[in-house]
Amino acid sequence: MNTPVLENDDDLRYAEYVLGVLDVDARAAVAQDIEVSPAAAAAVAVWERNLLPLADEIVDAAPAPYVWARIRDALKLNAPAREAPRKGLWNNLPLWHWIGIGASAVAIASVMFVVTPPRPAPAPVAAAVGYMVSNIQQDNGATGWTATMDLQNARMVVVPASPTTFEQGRAPELWLIPSGQKPIAVGMIMPDKPTTLALDAALLSRLGPTAALAVSVEPVGGSPTGQPTGPVIAKGAISAAPDAQGHPARVAGLRHPRGNLGLT
Amino acid sequence: MSVTSPAEREELNRLLIETGRNDQKAFAELYRLTSSKLFGVCLRMLRDRGEAEDVLQETYTTVWRRAAGFDAAKASAITWLTTLSRNKSIDRLRQHREEILDDPTRLEETADVQPTPAAQAEASQEYRRLQHCMDQLEPQHRESVREAFFTGATYNELAGRCKVPLGTMKSWIRRSLMLLQTCLGQ
Repeated sequence: MNTPVLENDDDLRYAEYVLGVLDVDARAAVAQDIEVSPAAAAAVAVWERNLLPLADEIVDAAPAPYVWARIRDALKLNAPAREAPRKGLWNNLPLWHWIGIGASAVAIASVMFVVTPPRPAPAPVAAAVGYMVSNIQQDNGATGWTATMDLQNARMVVVPASPTTFEQGRAPELWLIPSGQKPIAVGMIMPDKPTTLALDAALLSRLGPTAALAVSVEPVGGSPTGQPTGPVIAKGAISAAPDAQGHPARVAGLRHPRGNLGLT
Repeated sequence: MSVTSPAEREELNRLLIETGRNDQKAFAELYRLTSSKLFGVCLRMLRDRGEAEDVLQETYTTVWRRAAGFDAAKASAITWLTTLSRNKSIDRLRQHREEILDDPTRLEETADVQPTPAAQAEASQEYRRLQHCMDQLEPQHRESVREAFFTGATYNELAGRCKVPLGTMKSWIRRSLMLLQTCLGQ
């Protein structure tokens, strides 16, 4: 090459670095230059300004809501939304029971919009957050419980599809099973009524389409070992609309599989 | 998609500076406004949703830790952020390159990124300037530059894909970079 446009080999390397064609070692060498030499950093910055506009062609893609939960967890950030959960809505179990048993997504949307007061300072996570749902099914395919996870408020509501009876001294316990990992206890749930459970950061960060929920039969006080000891009676995958952006109307998974619209 | 309006750019600059002062609300708002663009970049390069999510997480944890070093006089926040996500993606590609390329199912995320008419209409001035200069390159050279930019491929990989000798690919790309510098410098 004898075109004397690029002033030196370094500038060419910086251009190649920004374009992304260098191998591991050559990349590391440029990264080192940037750290120690302001001139190198400035030259790289010029190339970034020149070439990065190409990225404008790339189509936006909304990340799943749990990515933000993971970032917050990794950085140990406070979760502003969790400091002041909307108790009125979340502790209203009859409402959740009603939603779990038969409300349509449209009804939920209207409930959300009516009941949720505008926040003075919008919770930072509001737009990146969404809901996740799981139909926790019994072996015979019937839904045992429906779980709805509100990532913004770090809460999960677990609603039984129909009351299940347990032996004296036994009760259902809910587990989160990240793909390929051991179950993590979420909490005891009611066999016949909705249960609201708080989700700590460790649980929140593991929610996602590769994780599952499961219910096992345990002593009333919970598994003594920290792992399921009794039979697993129901299991369900976790799902969320891939582009869920906090639009409650997309919580279609809340619709009860049996389609019963009657209020109880 | 581009962040085109000067007001939007200013707002992102402000949020990134506030993030550098450990303002969590600013950081969350910055994520809300930019994560879709950055995730698009990660997804385009890595072609795998799980990998892209990991890299997006790494990107924003790095943003939180390094935001204090952001200098709006040197780069706009959106360029700073996009560069970070590309660099993290390329680093990840260099680590996992073989696994990713060997798994044909991962290609399903690939999308053609020819700009849509709407995208072109709202293209930033910087994008139009670059596009004008790209148009001056020979078609084969231009495609190599685009392939390199959007896939993070090394010279070796590009040469393999285009079935040309390594020296030829290096020559195409280097010549293109020189021409772009001349064109953009005018």
